[in-house]
Amino acid sequence: MIVVAPKPKSEPKKFKDEFWKTKDIKISIRDIVEKDGEREVSEEETPIGPTPKPHVTDLRSWDMKLLSRYEPFYAPFCDMCCLCTFGKCDLLNKKGACGINSEAQQARIVLLACNIGTAAHAGHARHLVHHLIDELGEDYPLDLGLNIDIEAPITRTIIGKKPENLADLAETLNYVEEQLSHLLSACHTGQEGSSLDFESKALHSGVMDDLAREVGDLAQIVTLNMPKGDGDAPLVEMGVGTIDSTKPVVLCIGHNVLPGSNVMDYLDETGQEEDFEVCGICCAAIDISRYNDRAKVVGPLSRQLKFIRSGVADVIIVDEQCVRTDVLEEAQNKNTAVIATTDKMCLGLPDMTDEDPDVIVSKLLNKEIEGALILDPEKVGEVSVKVAKILSPEREKLKLLPELDEVQKMAAECTECGWCTRVCPNSKPMMEAVIAARDGDFSGFEKLYLNDVCYSCGRCEQECERELPLMSMLAKVGEKLAKTEKFNIRAGRGPVQDVEIRRVGAPLVLGDIPGVIAIVGCSNYPDGGKEVAEMAKEFLERNYIVVATGCGAMSIGEYLDEEGKTLYEQYTGDFDARGLVNIGSCVSNAHISGACIKIANIFAKKPLEGNFEEIADYILNRVGACGIAWGAYSQKAAAIATGVNRWGIPVVVGPHGSKYRRLYLGRTDKKENWKIKDLRTGKIMDGEPAPEHLIYAAENMEEAIVMTAKLCIRPTDTGKGRQIKLNHYIDLYKRYYGRLPPDIHLFVRNEKDIPITYKKDVKEILEEVGWEPREIPQEPSLMGMDGD
Amino acid sequence: MANERVIPWQPTVIAGPKQALLVTPETAELMIKKAKRPLFILGPLVKEDPLRTYATKIAEKWNLPVVTTADAYKPFYEKGLNPTAYGVVEIVNLLKDPEWQGVDGKGQHDLVIFLGCIYYIGSQGLSSLKHYAPHLKTLTICKFFHSNADASFPNLKDEEWFKYLEKMGEVG
Ligand code: SF4
Ligand code: SF4
Ligand code: SF4
Repeated sequence: MIVVAPKPKSEPKKFKDEFWKTKDIKISIRDIVEKDGEREVSEEETPIGPTPKPHVTDLRSWDMKLLSRYEPFYAPFCDMCCLCTFGKCDLLNKKGACGINSEAQQARIVLLACNIGTAAHAGHARHLVHHLIDELGEDYPLDLGLNIDIEAPITRTIIGKKPENLADLAETLNYVEEQLSHLLSACHTGQEGSSLDFESKALHSGVMDDLAREVGDLAQIVTLNMPKGDGDAPLVEMGVGTIDSTKPVVLCIGHNVLPGSNVMDYLDETGQEEDFEVCGICCAAIDISRYNDRAKVVGPLSRQLKFIRSGVADVIIVDEQCVRTDVLEEAQNKNTAVIATTDKMCLGLPDMTDEDPDVIVSKLLNKEIEGALILDPEKVGEVSVKVAKILSPEREKLKLLPELDEVQKMAAECTECGWCTRVCPNSKPMMEAVIAARDGDFSGFEKLYLNDVCYSCGRCEQECERELPLMSMLAKVGEKLAKTEKFNIRAGRGPVQDVEIRRVGAPLVLGDIPGVIAIVGCSNYPDGGKEVAEMAKEFLERNYIVVATGCGAMSIGEYLDEEGKTLYEQYTGDFDARGLVNIGSCVSNAHISGACIKIANIFAKKPLEGNFEEIADYILNRVGACGIAWGAYSQKAAAIATGVNRWGIPVVVGPHGSKYRRLYLGRTDKKENWKIKDLRTGKIMDGEPAPEHLIYAAENMEEAIVMTAKLCIRPTDTGKGRQIKLNHYIDLYKRYYGRLPPDIHLFVRNEKDIPITYKKDVKEILEEVGWEPREIPQEPSLMGMDGD
Repeated sequence: MANERVIPWQPTVIAGPKQALLVTPETAELMIKKAKRPLFILGPLVKEDPLRTYATKIAEKWNLPVVTTADAYKPFYEKGLNPTAYGVVEIVNLLKDPEWQGVDGKGQHDLVIFLGCIYYIGSQGLSSLKHYAPHLKTLTICKFFHSNADASFPNLKDEEWFKYLEKMGEVG
């Protein structure tokens, strides 16, 4: 028997309430428990499945099933290894001094990347949970409101129990951290030697990442009272043009909400909320606006350097992950104050955490310190506001960029060496832009500026032999365009509600709703952010459910139709056909796998606790979901993709994703790879290549759209559902390739699957290849196949 | 400047000591002549004219089976070729399997000629073949030096490149 805190009758306590500010009140829910009388609940009645808290090797047999169907495809980014002092070793057709071969080395680096990503989320979640327990006590309950009963589906499945309070979240993190140390240790020289075992560990790391993200997002949702699955979460202003730069501006960059939420609190408390602009870049922006919809979103990561260079921000607060590591130097050039706020990123700054806020303010303003490291988020709120207020009128922001005629003069110094274009990750025509600007034609720079076609990585500027400040030149030309950049985004809503799952479970599993498309990840796009919005629009118009997170969610909001409306204004935020659902930040990605898990649980009544393999098997075979991480660049994105892969959800990445070194590709020409077991009859039978790949890199948007539609096909589609899915696949293939897909026969099980519009053409192909109808399994599964 | 022509177009794709052999149109043609089962892979960067025409002429002159990547299928089909469409990662995945029977089902290819794939994903594909497909050679006739190929054109200006391609497609 265990004792738990009763659920609060009213709203959970708001962290931002005045009440919590009083330092010496220690909240203990146990007190309330005692007052209300203890409530006893019996130990969970749900049976625990075979793998609660799985160790590194416990899900290995599932991994091997996935990996024999979706074999790792390696594309080394480097022939060498330099991880130990035996090296460097050249692994091209040779083994390293430790005996490792090229394939295992690629897999090892993938595992390392996943571990780094998982550690970033786990560190982030740990920081939040630790801080919140300090403030609110470990009994603080996890209440997601009335519409969500299956909270924490990932934790339930992996850990084997439902988390009730912050202490349970901390316990989940203990497990994640333990697994992570085993996984990281496997990367050491002279440990794992098999590429497949490295992959199995990477998949485990991905699921640990899932857990860490779920913990992180649940913690912030319940304590900061963020939206709890509201389809009609408010629209938040987004874009540089929405920021009034005549006001003091505080900019938050990174992923941790606490510094930014404390800025909002301080402004509210001191009645200055109208006098300041608080804005964010990357996920910090999304999470602060989930907390308080007055916070503005500058945009995705692709904005970072040009926005810093524009000098609009008076104070920059950095927290963790994906922040430019030269932010201090860049900010100093603009007389912008910098406050670092987490142990992950201290930037060499003096630790001022225990100083009096006014002392820090004066030291910053008098330049006695280069910037401040303040590890107390509340203090960050006060200091940043006070500094911005005094600094703003002094900075004469509008004169921080060169004038246009100066840009022209600088451009005249260009030697036309061409190296700016060569080092550009996307070979964008920077040199042409500079040459044109020499003659007063700024259209080349404008084209680079708009839609973040140039994502301001700054590589060209580093290379320029004339040391031209190309990013400042770009920011200057973009200045007048930026004024018109007024977009919006629906505030991240967090988890999908149980009632929504009940509503869409059947149409999704049967195929009537053709799929869930998850547009996620960073902004390392091959050709600007607009393509992301175009992909979202394409699938929305076709009745798919489109969910989005992070930079992807922001890029979707940066697209305006002819009437000047964003997609968020045109489509509802409901998890339903034609819904455009902003789930939230990177950590909120947990709710996407979470929604698929809930379909297995709510719709198919599969028990979750300790039951990973059965759930993943269900998702792989039945839930037509596919991720698009068009600009995935980070190690976190590697961990996220690998995690969702293990749950059976395929992902399409952009062309830069090939640099992750490893994809999981299916082979339709190997029939034996697609065998399944029909659990209803126990028979092993021929299956379909559905989904065909688990992680796939597309060369351009057109290819990605077609592949995504194909990857939503599942063996359990009904005839009607399959017709709908094939109709979209054929339609899109025809549009971009000008003909019917040559592999269409692989997805036609019997004549009922053939879409009516294309009946004649499809039949012709079927005849050509000598197609014959196939038996349809009732409960297709990889379980009970070889290896079990 | 001669040196700059054989630094990979995107210089950081340098992977290790092994570098591609620099080829001219003449040596490229020798490689094709010598090959028993060549394959021509055309990417989206050459789907417009004049490049589409140059590429088509090369395919026709040497009677090369053609694979298109991304959405390059339609323009080449319309130009009269009969290509097979694959994603660039899909075709590379098939090529690295010694058991695969090739686009025509008659056996694995022994020479793969790349033209027009996006540089960095092309480079990754070439790296994959360099490591895991000892049974075939790769040749790139893009405008860019590809260090991960076995043989590559140097970095070229448009005019030079067009001349090179024209030469390779000239009959007679
Ligand atoms: S870890 Fe192995 S391959 Fe890498 S440098 Fe050391 S001995 Fe060489
Ligand atoms: S900043 Fe980066 S993306 Fe932009 S042109 Fe320069 S190198 Fe290319
Ligand atoms: S790197 Fe500098 S000098 Fe060279 S072309 Fe680009 S702008 Fe001109």
